[in-house]
Amino acid sequence: MSAPWVELDPTLVVVAAGTTAVGAVSGALGCFAYLRRQGLVGDVVSHSALLGVVGAFVLAHAITGSASRSLAVLVPGALIAGTASLALARSVSNRTRLNDDASLGVMLSIFFGGGLFLLRWVQRQSPPIPGHTGLEDYIFGMAAAMTRADLWMVFSLGGGALLLLFLLWKELKVFTFDPEFSRSLGLPSHRLDLLMMALLVAGVVIGIQTVGVILMIALLVTPAAAARQWTSRLSTMVLLAASFGATAGAGGALLSASEAGLPTGPVVVLLATAIFALSLLLAPRRGLIARARARRALGSTPPPAAGGAV
Amino acid sequence: MIHRSSREHSTEPLALDVEGLTVTYGKEPALWNADVRLGRGALAAVVGPNGAGKSTLLKAALGVVPRVSGRVRVLGEDPARRRRLVAYVPQRTSVDWDFPTTVLDVVMMGTYGRLGWFRRPGRNERALALGALEQMELADLAGRQISELSGGQQQRVFLARALVQDAEVYFMDEPFAGVDAVTEQSIASLLGHLAQRGKTILSVHHDLATVPRYFEHAVLLNRAVQAVGTVKEVFHRGNLDRLYGGRVPADVPEFAST
Repeated sequence: MSAPWVELDPTLVVVAAGTTAVGAVSGALGCFAYLRRQGLVGDVVSHSALLGVVGAFVLAHAITGSASRSLAVLVPGALIAGTASLALARSVSNRTRLNDDASLGVMLSIFFGGGLFLLRWVQRQSPPIPGHTGLEDYIFGMAAAMTRADLWMVFSLGGGALLLLFLLWKELKVFTFDPEFSRSLGLPSHRLDLLMMALLVAGVVIGIQTVGVILMIALLVTPAAAARQWTSRLSTMVLLAASFGATAGAGGALLSASEAGLPTGPVVVLLATAIFALSLLLAPRRGLIARARARRALGSTPPPAAGGAV
Repeated sequence: MIHRSSREHSTEPLALDVEGLTVTYGKEPALWNADVRLGRGALAAVVGPNGAGKSTLLKAALGVVPRVSGRVRVLGEDPARRRRLVAYVPQRTSVDWDFPTTVLDVVMMGTYGRLGWFRRPGRNERALALGALEQMELADLAGRQISELSGGQQQRVFLARALVQDAEVYFMDEPFAGVDAVTEQSIASLLGHLAQRGKTILSVHHDLATVPRYFEHAVLLNRAVQAVGTVKEVFHRGNLDRLYGGRVPADVPEFAST
């Protein structure tokens, strides 16, 4: 088929490269969040990042007098807000009788609500702050707004996170699988926990421009959940999840460029969900079809792949 | 106090020397002023009711819980400086057995301490892990996904990982929990072999009936240490009734009387 976008529109190249990288990084990092059952943590980070993004925009405007929506300004804001909400949630659950989920939920509400509030305030300023019109895109994502500088931000932050993942692979693996044993080896569990959080925050922050703070969690968890269906090795799972994320990212950018009016972020997320649904159905051993077949072959006994610890 | 010979007065340090140890979680004391001394080669069961601080004692000996007061020495040093000489078998149910990894991979984690930061396990570590799997009669399961193991196999995988650590002192949390009779026998004989080779074992154990058969020493614990000694000395009905508040089933056999 002949598609007009194949003529390498430079904007599209930037956008597609960005969404692909975002998908790959969040797919890989999402595996650890998935295995540690910290999906909610990722969700809190991304929602909280809205306050950081808008706050950084306001602050940059107040200091420099000119407004900037470049990631170089907004990412530090998102990093600070995301980390702060996690730290606050942790200290609330340590000091009160609220459990982890409840305190995370409270922080999500406070930071996301605060972000929406600040956003509305910015939009009502008169004279209007130049550049503010793009800020609300962070809620649902606006991949098309990605610039070359933004792309470098995504590459450097995402690449840094993946490099750390690679270097500390065996430490992060044993810490995720068996935290008590890893402590007995002398690994600093508190610092590894913080590192995991930092990687998660980095993965979230580089993705929010593309898919927005609300849908970001889908890009973290869905590729990981899909990859888990196909493999029983952590390394394969991470590589697969990265490829699934990258595929969804690239596909989302190209599809939304080919058809006017298709929003990139939601398309990326829907593609990732489609990959997940296919995996859930078709994967050998763990897939629904394979398990139904095995069950029929065994009579009513469930197949061994279905069980964890009893 | 436990000792195999009269080493107590020699210069050789005790395998485990816990003195006046108090550990709290929040405001509740988990361990209260505990004293436990184990000579090298001791094969000891930690026995006590739920919430008695048995796992906490192990974790304190591993140096991974903050202590309020007291002192812990493993082979004469702080536990943090003895990690290469200590192996740990956590409760089997403390991990997610649906984690995407293989039997061989889990056993190789026993080499991570020796490898140190950044270094990857290689051919040597693989060979060590395969050897330990062989010893636990799991060699043909090396490539198996861990979610496909039975409870007894999971337990033996954890023990194989501890063997790979090639330690002097072994801390184990309920290694006999939920395994079948055959596995129970093979774990018991493994512990016996380790002790014969001079390794020290401190193992949380729930089945009172098998304490005299599998262990030579017992630590009776209920937040405070009630008695420590050879099974013959301390594992009798009087002590156990006190430990469990008189709720010991009558079929617990053959204490010190034999």
